[in-house]
Amino acid sequence: MLILAGPVGAHEHDGGSHPERPARVGAVLQGIADLHLGSDLLTVDAPPATRNDLLAVHDAQYLDELEAFSRRGGGELDPDTYVTGTSWDAALRAAGAGLAAVEVLRARGEGVAFVAVRPPGHHAERGRGMGFCLLNNVAVTAAALASSGARVVVVDWDVHHGNGTQEIFWDEPDVLYVSTHQWPLYPGTGRPEEVGGVDAIGATLNVPVPPGATGDVLRQAMDDVIAPAVESFRPDWVLVSCGYDAHRADPLAELALSSADFAALARGAAALAPSPGRLVLFLEGGYDLQAIRRSTAATLGALVGDAAQPEEPTFGGPGSEAVRTAGRDRKRAIDEAWDRVLGAGSLDAPVTRRRSTY
Amino acid sequence: MRTPRRIAVGYDGSPDSEAALRWAASLSAALRATLRVVHAVGLLEHARLAPLAAHEERARALAAEEGMGDARVEWCVFDGDPGSVLRRAAEGEDGAELLVVGTRGAGAHPGSLLGSTSLGLAERAQVPVVVVPVP
Repeated sequence: MLILAGPVGAHEHDGGSHPERPARVGAVLQGIADLHLGSDLLTVDAPPATRNDLLAVHDAQYLDELEAFSRRGGGELDPDTYVTGTSWDAALRAAGAGLAAVEVLRARGEGVAFVAVRPPGHHAERGRGMGFCLLNNVAVTAAALASSGARVVVVDWDVHHGNGTQEIFWDEPDVLYVSTHQWPLYPGTGRPEEVGGVDAIGATLNVPVPPGATGDVLRQAMDDVIAPAVESFRPDWVLVSCGYDAHRADPLAELALSSADFAALARGAAALAPSPGRLVLFLEGGYDLQAIRRSTAATLGALVGDAAQPEEPTFGGPGSEAVRTAGRDRKRAIDEAWDRVLGAGSLDAPVTRRRSTY
Repeated sequence: MRTPRRIAVGYDGSPDSEAALRWAASLSAALRATLRVVHAVGLLEHARLAPLAAHEERARALAAEEGMGDARVEWCVFDGDPGSVLRRAAEGEDGAELLVVGTRGAGAHPGSLLGSTSLGLAERAQVPVVVVPVP
């Protein structure tokens, strides 16, 4: 069963010739239609996130200023990011869609949810929108789950590092943020040495890969670095920041994946979930409409039982050594972080933290 | 406090960044420091969907007007958000010991936190940060 939350942004939040455009959601819907799911598709509406939902991950002043800016008609937030008169309402529904998906999955106890929304979210920090993102959609859902006592992993395979999600959960030990991304590339964060704050050492995991990396490199990252860390973390929920801009046809980056590679990554993410009904994918980037359509069909087909793949998996690009190096650099950074924390202990302030294993 | 030998300034072609560059170049000339002019390449500029401005030529000309010899001006271009790129310019053994930014970069909004690089940089940078207002 596929739970489709949304769609949001198929018509509103339109920046004209900007690549982050309403037609992206249309391409997602075409990809889902290609699967001919019939009664295996359940569409749920996306209600607006509440103020309290948003305050878990964003500063009040930023929310107030963003809403007012949109209500005045908007403009440029930065050279990459636009706001229109309809952006605030779209962003609220985009941020609320994941919560609706979780509610349905909880009630059914089975299925996979796809949150088909824009504007995307993973670059949005607590106090700042950027990189086409206004509100951090996946973070809103992750924070709500964590506040209910769940342990959450966010797997981000968008071609860009999700600096916003990383920043929001930097010191949150119950949310493990995992990212594969092209390096170097915007936003300039996401090195393996970034492993989390002192209260969450190891709860951030970054695997940067070079331009030209193919699907086998991302699968290696998933199998050799990400899966062991997630298994040690023992999540209750798996959320995916599902960008399709690592596709070889994407105009904004230089990775070389095919739609079939996203299917393999999706199967890898599903294997990390502790039980059925605990996997939610959120649309992030992806700017080639045909690639979005094919990749959506391949991703969701792999998760709901239709293995049809219009493209072949890719092999042979650079990055295998980068994945191995990332694993080593991460381990060293975690050891050094713990040495700093434990070395800072004293009789007046005894160290009570327990060294994590992930 | 040690006199900075390397000073980095963020430059995006906006009037605020020009003011910051002039201030940083003037200080660098007085201190005989190296001036590292840093330009952050965003999503659209990376994809050539935004015009590639002749930033380097303009930046070097502004620095020269403030008395900086061209040999001590480094032009650095990195993919990334301006804040993270400037923080990176201050890392490592040859990292900048002082960061300089304008009050507002391109696309930012007076009287608002929206689009502000300088505030985030001041919070997170590991070296002193100077925020230069437009005169």
